[in-house]
Amino acid sequence: MSEAFPIALASSAILSGTSLLYATLGELVGERAGIVNLGLEGLMLIGASSGFAGAALTGNPYLGVAAAALAGIAANGLFSYVVIARHANQLAAGLSLTFFGLGASALIGRPFVGALAPGLPRLGAFDLLVWLAAPLAVVLWIVLYRTRWGLMLRAAGESPAAAFAAGRRPERAQYQALAVAGALGAIGGAHLSLAVALTWDEGMTAGRGFIAIALVIFAGWNPLWAVIGALVFGGAESLELEFQARGVDISPFLMNMVPYLLTLLVLTFWGLRGRSAAPAGLGRGFFGVE
Amino acid sequence: MTRLRMLLMALLPLIAALPAAAAEKLIVGAIYVGSVNDYGYNRSMHDGLMAMKAAIPGVTVLEAENVPESAEAERVMEGMIQQGAKLIFATSFGHQQFAFNLAKKHPDVDFEHAGGWMQAPNFGNFFGATQAAWYPMGVAAGKMTKTNTLGFVAGVPIGYVIGNINAFALGARSVNPKVEVRVVATGSWSDKAKEAAATGALIDQGADVIAMHVDSPATVIQVAESRGVFSIGFQSLEARALAPKGWITGLGFTWGPFMTATAKSVIDGAFKPAMVREGLGEGMIAIAPFGPAVPEETRALVTAAADKVAKGFNPFTGPITDNEGVVRIKDGEAWGGDKMGNFDWYVEGVIGKAK
Repeated sequence: MSEAFPIALASSAILSGTSLLYATLGELVGERAGIVNLGLEGLMLIGASSGFAGAALTGNPYLGVAAAALAGIAANGLFSYVVIARHANQLAAGLSLTFFGLGASALIGRPFVGALAPGLPRLGAFDLLVWLAAPLAVVLWIVLYRTRWGLMLRAAGESPAAAFAAGRRPERAQYQALAVAGALGAIGGAHLSLAVALTWDEGMTAGRGFIAIALVIFAGWNPLWAVIGALVFGGAESLELEFQARGVDISPFLMNMVPYLLTLLVLTFWGLRGRSAAPAGLGRGFFGVE
Repeated sequence: MTRLRMLLMALLPLIAALPAAAAEKLIVGAIYVGSVNDYGYNRSMHDGLMAMKAAIPGVTVLEAENVPESAEAERVMEGMIQQGAKLIFATSFGHQQFAFNLAKKHPDVDFEHAGGWMQAPNFGNFFGATQAAWYPMGVAAGKMTKTNTLGFVAGVPIGYVIGNINAFALGARSVNPKVEVRVVATGSWSDKAKEAAATGALIDQGADVIAMHVDSPATVIQVAESRGVFSIGFQSLEARALAPKGWITGLGFTWGPFMTATAKSVIDGAFKPAMVREGLGEGMIAIAPFGPAVPEETRALVTAAADKVAKGFNPFTGPITDNEGVVRIKDGEAWGGDKMGNFDWYVEGVIGKAK
């Protein structure tokens, strides 16, 4: 049954974009607290492999997602200790997390390559994680801008010294933010293995973690714009495949370039917007006040 | 007494090892670009090596999975040579240069590379000639489809892949002139998420039989099975386990006989490098068992088409027109094995752009 093109494209974009959205929201929370985590790719892979392994072992895909979240919190916990308590360079520590994730996920996933695990069941058009994604973005917006915890988190990201002077502990907010980020990043990976590809393979995120980091910038560190961003990038990937299936008269090699061309276009015009909305303390460690 | 006992205990492992060393005829190393559990290309290579191991007692096999197509491959193969390997199978196309470098460095070790062209006294190539073998697959698809739309997920649309698609389309149209083949190229030999999206896109366009040429057919077949459409497998005969309901048939590489013969030649000191390309019926490619949904009449048609190809039938015999109306193979002409990499056009009935 041939589907109308806009519907096919939209549902494909939503399906591809969901894992990107979870990862972006996670990274956003961490960056709002002042910590840039370049280990998102490794985190997503850990989530994808743990989620798939959990689902294969328990027979329940939701338990798989839970396992992924826990693994993500653990992995990001390692990262947050290194970066917050030991004041390691955030960029280097993040990249180390990426490589660690590549290896750890391969190890976790090894017995499960080629295995059949129950995927997330469709509730209507999509699985549960897809339905929860956009509401999650709204919830995060409310938490970040309308709650005390969110305020604390943003203070830690803008000026940890000011927060410290006000009698708060910015490190605590950062640990908590990174725990949330770890869970969300890993869930993003789990969606790939349990809903999109229904399998596990080494390195299967294929760079989506890095796209998510770029998406945080695209979204201006605002969870609501992240939804648009994930849809656009998810859509770009599905667009060229859907066009090919329709028989568009353009070379498949050019079509395969579409997602990356779109990324470049968007980032170019977005960059012309003006001053950056990044949290002022992003990337800097807080060494305490004498 | 204690000294004697100590001496005996020291010598015991050596004595125990002697018969084993005598029985060990050959250490064979193999590197794979992916995981052997992929129900696809790497699985077929692994199965071939296991068949070789079973056929020759005293052969030890060293395997390394997920070896990237980079200098890392050279390092891994070097490690196997250090462990005593005298025959190395470099199973992925991108491993060629690195295996060739090592062949120059180790003239006493023999190398077999899958899919390349480089030659040296201790370096040979082998691969299956798959194009014509896709013709009977097309026959099967053409008979089983109810929507007259077939879908094909391609990895990188190089000439050989396009040749496979063309043979598939020619076979399908020979039994069902109304059929059309839609092609989606993911741009990568192995990207599970893209393969899933590509399969979905083809099914959305009405395809009810899905075939593929990617490293592992697993994702494509699983998506097809979950959406209730038929699938035709490629690379490994074992892929049929993934589609208990929708499996029609498939092509799988049977590397065992070639690997066994090569290992024997190395043991006998008679290794002869060559550029080996075997088609259907010559030992390297086999047709998978039919699925439960395939009726007797279709099975007979497919088997007959396969026999025709094995006996030398070339589907690329003119006149053949491409999907833009241009005559590409004239009446009286035929494209043989040497031209299989030259395809940059699709035959009539394929909806897509080849380049």
